[in-house]
Amino acid sequence: MAVRILLADDHPLTRSGIAEFVRREESFELVAEAEDGSEAWDKIRELRPDVALLDIRMPGYDGVTVAQKVKNEGLNTAIVMLTSYDAQQYVIASLRAGARGFVLKTVSPKELTTAINTVAKGGLYLDPEVASVMGEQDFIPEQLSVREREVLLLAAKGLSSKEVAKKLFISERTVQTHLASIYDKLGSRNKTEALLLALKYGVVTLEELLEDE
Amino acid sequence: MLSYIRRKFAGSGSHFLAFLLCALVLPSAAVVFVAVAGMLTQEKAMEAAVSSYVQDLAESMSYHLSSDSEVWTFAMLSDFTRYPFFSWGPSIPGWVALIAQDGKVLIASPGSMSIIVSIWRNDLPVGQAVRVTDKGGAQYTLAIYPVKRPGGGYVVAAVSWTQLLGGLVGVVRLWPALIVAIAFLSFIAIRLLWQKVVRPLRSLASEIDSMTLGKDVPEKLPDGTIEEIESVHSALLRFAQAAVERDNLRNRYVRDVVQAQEQERMDMAREIHDGALQDVTALLQQIHMIADDENKTSRLKRSEIIAKAVVKELRAFCDELAPPWMDLGLNEAVTELAERLSQAYDIRIMTDYDEDTDNAKIENDKILSLLRIIQEAVSNAVRHGEASEVNIQLTRENDTLTLEISDDGKGFDAANISHETLRVEGHRGLASMKERMNLMGGTLKIDSSPGKGTDIRASLRI
Repeated sequence: MAVRILLADDHPLTRSGIAEFVRREESFELVAEAEDGSEAWDKIRELRPDVALLDIRMPGYDGVTVAQKVKNEGLNTAIVMLTSYDAQQYVIASLRAGARGFVLKTVSPKELTTAINTVAKGGLYLDPEVASVMGEQDFIPEQLSVREREVLLLAAKGLSSKEVAKKLFISERTVQTHLASIYDKLGSRNKTEALLLALKYGVVTLEELLEDE
Repeated sequence: MLSYIRRKFAGSGSHFLAFLLCALVLPSAAVVFVAVAGMLTQEKAMEAAVSSYVQDLAESMSYHLSSDSEVWTFAMLSDFTRYPFFSWGPSIPGWVALIAQDGKVLIASPGSMSIIVSIWRNDLPVGQAVRVTDKGGAQYTLAIYPVKRPGGGYVVAAVSWTQLLGGLVGVVRLWPALIVAIAFLSFIAIRLLWQKVVRPLRSLASEIDSMTLGKDVPEKLPDGTIEEIESVHSALLRFAQAAVERDNLRNRYVRDVVQAQEQERMDMAREIHDGALQDVTALLQQIHMIADDENKTSRLKRSEIIAKAVVKELRAFCDELAPPWMDLGLNEAVTELAERLSQAYDIRIMTDYDEDTDNAKIENDKILSLLRIIQEAVSNAVRHGEASEVNIQLTRENDTLTLEISDDGKGFDAANISHETLRVEGHRGLASMKERMNLMGGTLKIDSSPGKGTDIRASLRI
């Protein structure tokens, strides 16, 4: 059975280019195209596609908002963010909103196919170009302690050190120490890298990240 | 009344001057007038008294000496000398004498002889007091009465004004001199007033009138200007100098902004020219060659790589110009920038926030300002401070948002560097951070000392 796909992008040239990729692939079925966020949301509700490819910056609702709506509504549509911006914060924001894929528009058809297939099966796909910052290929991360995992997850959910400290009944200073140790163990230079690497190495799962606190 | 005068004379300088002239001259003129009138009246009264005195004296003498029958004898004359005024003189300063028909002095009170001789004139009226002046200018009132007896003769009585009034006469003579002196002094006073007050004030006023604020500074006052005007002038000078400085600063600032703009345009042009333009040109060459190339696949692969590079370059360029991730909110924007910087400089950057900094409604230009400050601060920390770790913290207290950036770099002597020094000595980055915050209505504090790293604290109201 073909994967049913919705594509939303306000830029007509890019949209038609990607639409052509999707149509060409036999295992995919392009069920709808949308040129802004609210049209995309309406069509997702109406057509319930398996995968929605959403541009982040769109008139009406932006892609992250549409993803959030899909998540809140509990729909089964898997969201892949399709964007020109390589900002990691978009990745984090998208993942928090429930998106399972993050792909740059410069992606090759092969990669896009992989991304769609991965998320359709419930997996997580991040563009290699965004993920390329995440350490060397053969890097083997050190095991995180239980506390460190807790700290990382809370921080990944967007809590400040102060809030993490309050939640875990430890001092802010201890939170900072844990974070520094996490960075060292994962080979990251900052919080976002740490989270993406943790997701990549399977130290934490997307489901854990999406769990309500 | 007073307010009327004030209104009347407040108008112009010359009216005021006329008023001052009147105020100075009129009272002194009045004093002189009253004094002169008093003197004249008094002199008249004195003259009447003196006249009647000498008349009475001469008349009573002539009465005593008159007789119907007897001719003058020396025995009689010696008898007369018994009268006190012949032996002592009259009770007020004066003289009395008996003169024969032929002009010979028969008897005279002490001292009168020479005086009577000196003032005697043949045309003096008889029986009536008269005022005469001797050769020395001394004045006398004199009365001549005939003695009615055979042989005739005259009684002469006289009073000397000089002796009677003494020093007063001198004072009377002083009056004209005094008047002249007062007039002269008034003139000097008015002249000084004109020179030292009215004229400097007028020139000051016209100078203020014609001054272009921010360009001109008032000229130096001539020496000897009075203190009050001097202080008004120096206040004006300070004011004008401050305006000039401010104008200069603003001009310099505008020039800097224009220069920076031009520089930025040139940088952008160079970046596009050396980067994307070269790449697209290369891409075009590849496409041209695809047509007549047997190795199409590898050409296409090359084209793809080039095109991807162009996209990446342009993306980075856009991010640099105006970060598109600014609309993610303050915390995310700061995190994104911090992480990009940490990758670019390969240093550790820790970021942390208060709970409520994110949902704070902050305008994009304020976020952008804060991002630029972070950019500048981290770049300085790495390039100048050789820092390996930077801490970025956002805190919010009520309406005040504070961004603190601290590094573990070398630091510098921040206490001894003024804003101006920063600008002129090439630390334009630090200066422009401050200016940016000022523009946003915020403040920026730089705290650093050698060996202690640098701490930058930017605060603004949201």
